[in-house]
Amino acid sequence: MHRRAFIQSMCCGGLATFTLPSVTFGQVRQSGRFVFVLLRGGFDGLAAVVPAGDPSYRSLREGFAYDESALTMLDDTFGLAPGLAPLKTFWDQGQLAVAHAMAIPHRTRSHFDGQAILESGLDKPLGSSDGWLNRLLQSMSGKRAGIAIAAGMPLSLTGAYDVQSWSPTQLGVVDDSFRERLAALYRADAVLHNRFEAAIAQQDMVGEEAMARGRARRDGAVALMTAAAKILRADGGPNVAAMELSGWDTHANQGLAGGALDRLLGQLAEGLVAFRTEMGSAWDSTTVVVMTEFGRTARPNGTRGTDHGTAGAGFVLGSRLAGSSVVADWPGLAANALFEGRDLKPTLDTRALLKSVVAASFDLTPAQLDRVFPNSAAARPLPSLMA
Amino acid sequence: MGEARRLSDPRGWLRGQLRGDAPRLAPAAGADPDAVGDAVRGFRQLAQGDDAERRQARRRIQQIAAAELRQALTARVTTDRPFVERLVAFWSNHLCVSTGAKVLVAPLAGSYERDVIRPHVLGRFEDMVLASARHPAMLAYLDNFQSIGPTSQVATLGQRAGRARAGQPQATTRRGLNENYARELLELHTLGVDGGYTQQDVQELARMLTGWTIDGIAGPGARAAAGMRQRGRGGRLGRAAVREQAPSADGPLRFVFREAQHEPGSKTLLGARYGEHGASEAERAIKVLCAHPSTARFVARKLVAHFVSDEPPAGAVDRVADTFRSSGGDLSAVAGALIELPDAWQEDRRKFRAPQDWLVAVFRALGTSDVRENVGPLLRQLRQPLWSPQAPKGYGDTMQEWADPDSLFNRGELARTIARLPAVRDVDPVSLLGVVDVSASTPLSSMLADTSITRDERIALALAGPAFQWR
Repeated sequence: MHRRAFIQSMCCGGLATFTLPSVTFGQVRQSGRFVFVLLRGGFDGLAAVVPAGDPSYRSLREGFAYDESALTMLDDTFGLAPGLAPLKTFWDQGQLAVAHAMAIPHRTRSHFDGQAILESGLDKPLGSSDGWLNRLLQSMSGKRAGIAIAAGMPLSLTGAYDVQSWSPTQLGVVDDSFRERLAALYRADAVLHNRFEAAIAQQDMVGEEAMARGRARRDGAVALMTAAAKILRADGGPNVAAMELSGWDTHANQGLAGGALDRLLGQLAEGLVAFRTEMGSAWDSTTVVVMTEFGRTARPNGTRGTDHGTAGAGFVLGSRLAGSSVVADWPGLAANALFEGRDLKPTLDTRALLKSVVAASFDLTPAQLDRVFPNSAAARPLPSLMA
Repeated sequence: MGEARRLSDPRGWLRGQLRGDAPRLAPAAGADPDAVGDAVRGFRQLAQGDDAERRQARRRIQQIAAAELRQALTARVTTDRPFVERLVAFWSNHLCVSTGAKVLVAPLAGSYERDVIRPHVLGRFEDMVLASARHPAMLAYLDNFQSIGPTSQVATLGQRAGRARAGQPQATTRRGLNENYARELLELHTLGVDGGYTQQDVQELARMLTGWTIDGIAGPGARAAAGMRQRGRGGRLGRAAVREQAPSADGPLRFVFREAQHEPGSKTLLGARYGEHGASEAERAIKVLCAHPSTARFVARKLVAHFVSDEPPAGAVDRVADTFRSSGGDLSAVAGALIELPDAWQEDRRKFRAPQDWLVAVFRALGTSDVRENVGPLLRQLRQPLWSPQAPKGYGDTMQEWADPDSLFNRGELARTIARLPAVRDVDPVSLLGVVDVSASTPLSSMLADTSITRDERIALALAGPAFQWR
């Protein structure tokens, strides 16, 4: 896009949507909330949702394998790693679907490409693409607003529909007179002024949370997800959110129970529990999807870690699920079943899962779904995932 | 002097900065190479040590990292060749390491920018990439120091040792090839993701790079080399060769090529065959990659996007790529080509300042030195800490990435904090009008002159207002 066109789009197209929606809506059913959690770095699905019952698992991960007794077994084949044990409460209440052997629709072992595919919702890399969550906001009906709970704007939310952002900082609040004068200055900047207006609106909505923001970074996922829930459950709060957690690129010394990866999984699981608690009754209409750009190699590498692989695991949490289940067309870990002889083979397209969840959350028509995920006819929604 | 020239002859002012070598820096106090080596070894030896000692060792590393960070940012703030410092920042980000990734990287990042980026920022691209490939910070950051050829002498020895300990599952974990650096070298440093390479190329390049590791710390290869020295008599390696590879137990961390870790045999990269040639295989490969047309395009596009526009005009990219190719990757000539781009001088071309740019501009505008003590934490709050990107692609620099509503508000909060610092006490708000570069009859100019507003608030308005967010 040319700069001038861009400036125009910001001034004309952007104005109406940047402020928080205050319009009430009549005929449109109060739809759900959707939270997309991206684990950046490619998390090891085989070490998180462990196929302990697969006959090849132990030999493939020799010296690096979990005993079944250390896991929270979900069925005969799969068990949650020790760090993910807190997710058992979701499972017992029919609020957890675990997807496995899932991958983005394009084969790449590059973080950059993989995240671009997952966040753009396309089937091949296209540098200029907008994000699928932004297209979701453009396509859905009724009241909606998007927010990035992230440092900087993730690709998934970039695009023509203007969204807010929030992330914890360690700063205090600024006084009202300074804020008003600054807002006056920003009104003269054609490109930035509605962004600043949105920031002010955001501050007003988060309210006292803004004063307490900070410290969150050190406490990791629990504090971040608690803060996110406070924003999302508010009246008039956003109903589409993107969050991200990093540190999953475990090339070395990944460890087993209590190791580096398991501690991260523990933070994720405790964060999700804290999120549900903080959401209160708003949890009933909320669905959370946790995904990553790729899984990791089936075998450990030479540095007690794993390298960039292909298929991996993901999670759907929420009470709009049809029930708890493992969603996997399991290809197995036998040597001849591995993708290119080294990675878990993909049998489920990330878009199939995402389409199922957002269609149910926002009553999308097939035409709207196609707009969100172009060229995705082969990735059919999963019929029995959502209630 | 510089100021007058900047206004009267901006092209000449920029070109003049490219003459001579880039300014070199000395290590920050307490961050000389021996001290860095000792701090790293101290930390690694305490892997199983008690908590208090470990905390102290970590603090030593953090002190080195903080001193280096202040040193580097001081150079950016106080320079009289700001264009050259911007080039340093650009190339440092292009070939980035991240202190957040590993404790080992944190005390080395300062040396990395000083010894890899600065000497070549007006020199040749391939020299910079080669220096990067050999620097302990990069070897550690992207794991190459731990990569071992699957059929190398070290791996073969390891398997024999593993068999001897059969029945102990932990001991049999294979150590082997790590392709992380090879992939990023292709994808991010040279050809670009669409530059025309395959997964096979990544693996072949990783094989060539085996043995490129760090001397001065105990890694898998160093341990094996020491083990081989002990059993040198009758071993497969001659004694002299083995002695050469024994790890240093003191002194700086340094690049070393360990033959015993290197994957033997010929390799094929981008269709060309490389016969077995030890360290010079990867050296040759890196030179070929740096001279590849995809690299010229990839680097040119990134430069134009950084210096001219988030939407780099194709013609401008072509011109810079041509210069890159025809000069053999002469980065001074490439920087000169950027100055000559007509696109760079169009009024409506402007770039939103990324947080590091903004903060450096703030300090330059205030002309103060004391605030630099706070610069590390401030950059962290702005979400762009120095040398700490979340991924090897480094930080982005588009408006899309940095001008989100929350960030604009953060700058307001930060400017308010900075303007209250004692070091800013003598700054006259009205004097900032020229620096912020707005005309005399704007809302900002009347606010800066309005003495009913407190002085520190007026300073904060100048720094946090929209005009100062653009360059």
